[in-house]
Amino acid sequence: MSIEVTGLNKKFGDFVALDDVNVTIPTGQLTALLGPSGGGKSTLLRIIAGLEKADTGSVTIEGVEATHLPAQKRNVGFVFQHYAVFKHMTVAKNVAFGLEIRKRPKDEIEHRVQELLKLVHLSQFAHRLPSQLSGGQRQRMALARALAVEPSVLLLDEPFGALDAKVRKELRDWLRRLHDDVHVTTVFVTHDQEEALEVADEIVVINEGRVEQVGTPDQLYDEPANDFVMSFLGEVTHLGGVSLRPHDIELEASPQLAGSVEGTVSRMVRIGFEVRLTVLTVDGDEVSVVVTRAHARAHGIEEGSTVWLTPAAGATVVPRMAAAV
Amino acid sequence: MADTLIRPPADAPPPVEERRRPPRVRKTPVTYLLRFIVTAYLFFLVAWPVSLVVTHTFDNGWESIRSLLEDPDMVVALQLSAYVAVWSVLINTVFGVGMSLLLVRYEFPGKRLLNSLLDLPLSVSPIVVGLALVLVYGGRNGWFGPTLAGWGFDVIFSTPGIIMATTFVALPLMIRELVPVLEEIGIEQEQAAQSLGASGFQRFVRITLPSIKWGITYGVVLTLARSLGEFGAVKVVSGNVLGQTRTATLAVEEKYLNFDQQGAYATAFLLAMVSVACIVVVGIIRPKNNH
Repeated sequence: MSIEVTGLNKKFGDFVALDDVNVTIPTGQLTALLGPSGGGKSTLLRIIAGLEKADTGSVTIEGVEATHLPAQKRNVGFVFQHYAVFKHMTVAKNVAFGLEIRKRPKDEIEHRVQELLKLVHLSQFAHRLPSQLSGGQRQRMALARALAVEPSVLLLDEPFGALDAKVRKELRDWLRRLHDDVHVTTVFVTHDQEEALEVADEIVVINEGRVEQVGTPDQLYDEPANDFVMSFLGEVTHLGGVSLRPHDIELEASPQLAGSVEGTVSRMVRIGFEVRLTVLTVDGDEVSVVVTRAHARAHGIEEGSTVWLTPAAGATVVPRMAAAV
Repeated sequence: MADTLIRPPADAPPPVEERRRPPRVRKTPVTYLLRFIVTAYLFFLVAWPVSLVVTHTFDNGWESIRSLLEDPDMVVALQLSAYVAVWSVLINTVFGVGMSLLLVRYEFPGKRLLNSLLDLPLSVSPIVVGLALVLVYGGRNGWFGPTLAGWGFDVIFSTPGIIMATTFVALPLMIRELVPVLEEIGIEQEQAAQSLGASGFQRFVRITLPSIKWGITYGVVLTLARSLGEFGAVKVVSGNVLGQTRTATLAVEEKYLNFDQQGAYATAFLLAMVSVACIVVVGIIRPKNNH
């Protein structure tokens, strides 16, 4: 196992950032730390990197006890949300920095820098200053810089958070492909569940300083450990005593399935091929339901219609918590 | 490949609208009035008096400058001024960089108090600074001076005292120049360098220093100009001994009081030229895209 975190606690004044966190991050995989802002995921990443000190607990990287190692001795690559480029150095010098610190021979550095710039598609920008690059290009340069020292783990703190939506999506795909080529153990922090579901091999959901669940994207989506994980990964509605996804509700114009709940359509919004309905059930619940346009039309559903709702067979369902989101 | 990755270099010309110049503000009588006030203000306060110093200096061509440089006591005074200014710049640079890092990067009790104390040299009259130094280091009645004198080390009425007074007076200039720069660059670049294996010293030399070098340059220029021009504090602590502890500014006053106006103007001219030269040199070597 590449990174082992045990019993980590961290407070900033009265604020509990991490509360007895235990995580194991597997070698060679792309792991996402997912959670809402202020949930402690960046703090965890920075403690793994050595940029922050935990109050108690220990960190082991590739079998080496790293809890008290300073950041410069941990051999981790770190990529910051705002790139942290060395503004006074050219792109090539930025990438070469870690190798120069390690006093590698000049021709080896030159060769490695060229190789990395090719990998991140910045070869033609080698002699530019970072200020002449776009945000996405800067972040790719920062990634090459972190990879140059052949780190045992690569840590990315909201790497695409400062980029616009289109570039973010492209870089996300690109990171996935890069990881398939390079295979360095990678941990990235994100608050975007779509990003985590799409890119990561494994996701660690962190909320209020605690690990809520660890699993593959499918496991998290299909078997969320609790209401929080479920609601964080996608839209959630409540029917009867359970939480489930709005598109996992069967909607019929007449009572056909056992256990169906009667209700009235109070609102209906059509967005492209799907129709979003708000249904007031006889139990007093307000349920969101998503059906296809064809389904709604076939059943003649409109505002005011009486409908019957049933959780779909195979739907992901978790018991509803008192303080549901 | 995703399309940003193969996009042509980012230096393609921006859309035409962005390059269009901002619309000129229409000129009204008020515009001309404001321009006139500013020009007149600068002319009467700065340009005219300074230009008179220059014209008076060169009333007899280069004669006044030559006679100045042939006077051995004046040469000593000029050398002393340069010597003191260089030391003051050195001390204030080392101390200023350290102090600025302390103020920007660390939290400690009394930080606000320290921050306001650092402005003291700017708000207190230099005469007061001089008197305060005499109280502490005065060779006969000072608080600490007699002890130092016992060790054969004179501060007051000697070069160390002049350097101390000048350094004190010019102290805030470097710090006030560096603190905003350090705040702006933040610590992320250094953290990145740290994760790449750089030690504290390597980070300082390779990241921090290059990032603040223009701040330091400006701080040096301001400190140098201020140190060369210091008068009040130096007058109190130096003793004003001709050929020994008389600096160039003290010589200007002496010459002026002795009706040697030509000499006073020439010395003043030399002092002013050094400061102007510093500012011009920095203006030339400073890269244009740097802010």
